[in-house]
Amino acid sequence: MSEHPAGVPRRAAAPADVDLERVWTAVAAVVWRREPGWLERLAGRLLRSPGLARALLTTPSLLIPWLIATAVVLGAGSIATVSTGEPLVALVAPVVAAAGIAYAYGPGIDPAWELSCSMAVSERMVLLVRALAVFGLNAVLGLAASAASGAVAAAAFGWLVPMTAVCALALAAATLARSANVGVAAGLGGWVIAVLSGQAADGRISAAFTEPALVLPYLAFTACCCAIVLAATRVRRGTP
Amino acid sequence: MDDQELVACVAAGDDTALRELLLRHGPWLAARLRPALSAADVEDVLQETFLAVWKGAGGYRPDGPAGAWIWGIARRQAALFLRRRGPAAADLPAVLERPHADDPAEAALSRAQMTAAVAVLGPEGSPDRRVWQLMYVEDRPVAEVARLMGIPEGTVKSRAHRARRLLRAALTGRPAAEGGSR
Amino acid sequence: MNVEITDLTRRFGRNQAVAGVSLRAGPGVFGLLGPNGAGKTSLLRMMATVIQPSSGELRLLGRDPGAYGQRKQIRRRLGYLPQNLGYYPAFTVVEFVEYFALLKEMPPAQVPGAVAAAVEKVGLGDRARAKLRTLSGGMLRRVGIAQAIVNEPELLLLDEPTAGLDPEQRVAFRSLMRDLGQRATVVVSTHLVEDVGAACAQVALMNQGKIVFHGTPQELTARADGTAAAGDAPLERGYSAVLAQARS
Repeated sequence: MSEHPAGVPRRAAAPADVDLERVWTAVAAVVWRREPGWLERLAGRLLRSPGLARALLTTPSLLIPWLIATAVVLGAGSIATVSTGEPLVALVAPVVAAAGIAYAYGPGIDPAWELSCSMAVSERMVLLVRALAVFGLNAVLGLAASAASGAVAAAAFGWLVPMTAVCALALAAATLARSANVGVAAGLGGWVIAVLSGQAADGRISAAFTEPALVLPYLAFTACCCAIVLAATRVRRGTP
Repeated sequence: MDDQELVACVAAGDDTALRELLLRHGPWLAARLRPALSAADVEDVLQETFLAVWKGAGGYRPDGPAGAWIWGIARRQAALFLRRRGPAAADLPAVLERPHADDPAEAALSRAQMTAAVAVLGPEGSPDRRVWQLMYVEDRPVAEVARLMGIPEGTVKSRAHRARRLLRAALTGRPAAEGGSR
Repeated sequence: MNVEITDLTRRFGRNQAVAGVSLRAGPGVFGLLGPNGAGKTSLLRMMATVIQPSSGELRLLGRDPGAYGQRKQIRRRLGYLPQNLGYYPAFTVVEFVEYFALLKEMPPAQVPGAVAAAVEKVGLGDRARAKLRTLSGGMLRRVGIAQAIVNEPELLLLDEPTAGLDPEQRVAFRSLMRDLGQRATVVVSTHLVEDVGAACAQVALMNQGKIVFHGTPQELTARADGTAAAGDAPLERGYSAVLAQARS
């Protein structure tokens, strides 16, 4: 037991019945604690699950940088629509949303996917909550951009239905291929095909999102893709 | 890394420095608190102490050893802890009482601490020790002490002053202001 | 009994990964040995409720994982470390462990203390707030163990948990397993025969989807007696002897 120069014992051993590890664990619990922000606490109360709220707020395509990028792209589309007269917001919004959906959920973007599948907060709930949030946010931003560009009524929100279909396609592709990039490519490719065939059939580039006869086919397509996703997330396929 | 650097790191938000401080100082702090509190209470007080260190590290001025500063926090936390327990437990054990700011040598202390501190003055019979014994324990006036020891009153006063200084250093852990300890 | 399995099978396409396994396990550490492709991972994944069996009966912690509500209850009391965990590079150690504690529906008030205890138990206390992308492979494995034990599970499933750990860390890990095995059922699937010998009370050896040995490590060692089995250590020789017999 060495003495401090002023005569106070400093290296006394701890009494045997005092558990310093327990002390540190209790201190660390406070020092390392992450305080959820107001948005996460609100989401936790609305969803009645703090885990689901955390899963929602850590969605890659709901993080601030992604949201800013989305707003910038749609804003640019809005400005371009005003200057060129082409309904660019309506053309761009579905693809942006599809990219957001592909990067929201699934084995494509979750490195710890296998572990996530064993959690009490089920992957289905995470899928539902994330997909709705991403879709909803993209719809709102798209509508704002549309309104700002002063587009004609049909072009202002007619793209919402095709957007649903393109998002469902992106999600199904991303889930099946276990790759978010494949999802984005599928969404982009599918939309390009839809727009070009609409133009070929009707002569207008806006046919793909203003033609009322297409609404039902779009919705049916969406339902198919959703069924694929549900099936793919139910049956785990193949050993690694 | 020495203690003062660790506290500076803690003030900057480094939790590994706090962990190191607990590893270094936890044992002797626990040993000092144990005579006054049960083991579980010692753990609780140490927990509050190091949380206070975490929050208050910015207020540490390196004019004394970090260990003494932490001990001060521990003592305050122990007092708070016992006061929260209720009036029955408010009889604070002497070892934890805050010494009077002017003269720590006159504060009430546990016998063991006192004995260890008094040993700083020298062996039994040495001049400083005798002055202490006569003036402060037996409470004799300066003139009488001078007569009993056969030394001038001025010498008695300077020895008394030195004894107080040495004891203050020994009891609070700050190094003696000038000269050595022995 | 925390695990009750009767005639469990699992098929992937034409491949019969698990071909009729029966076993029962209570508290304690249970080792699962076997060559690659023996079906250990598939069996573990079924116990982790990640995949469903093709046929047979599976009861975990006294509940049926086929029913949604009971599966949720099992999952709250489950700890699972997959063979390839993956990690979120921008998360810190504490954030990662906390994320899965929340997903296991631990009461939020208990989470900070449980996370701190788990991180300290795996020896990562000095890197608690380091980002995962700054950690080595062995440390990441320990982060995986921490998330598996954070909710003090009654059933802990570990697939190759000591991959990437140095010998000193493996010793610490085995002692952690023995502690946990006092209250919980810990199933460790591993290639490393010596991990099994040091920590496990019971061992099962799988080959081609079936269990070809079930007993204590001592009994496995004894199976090498009277044979010319290959191996540097007694347990390895027992392992080889059983496999040779199963293949003949």
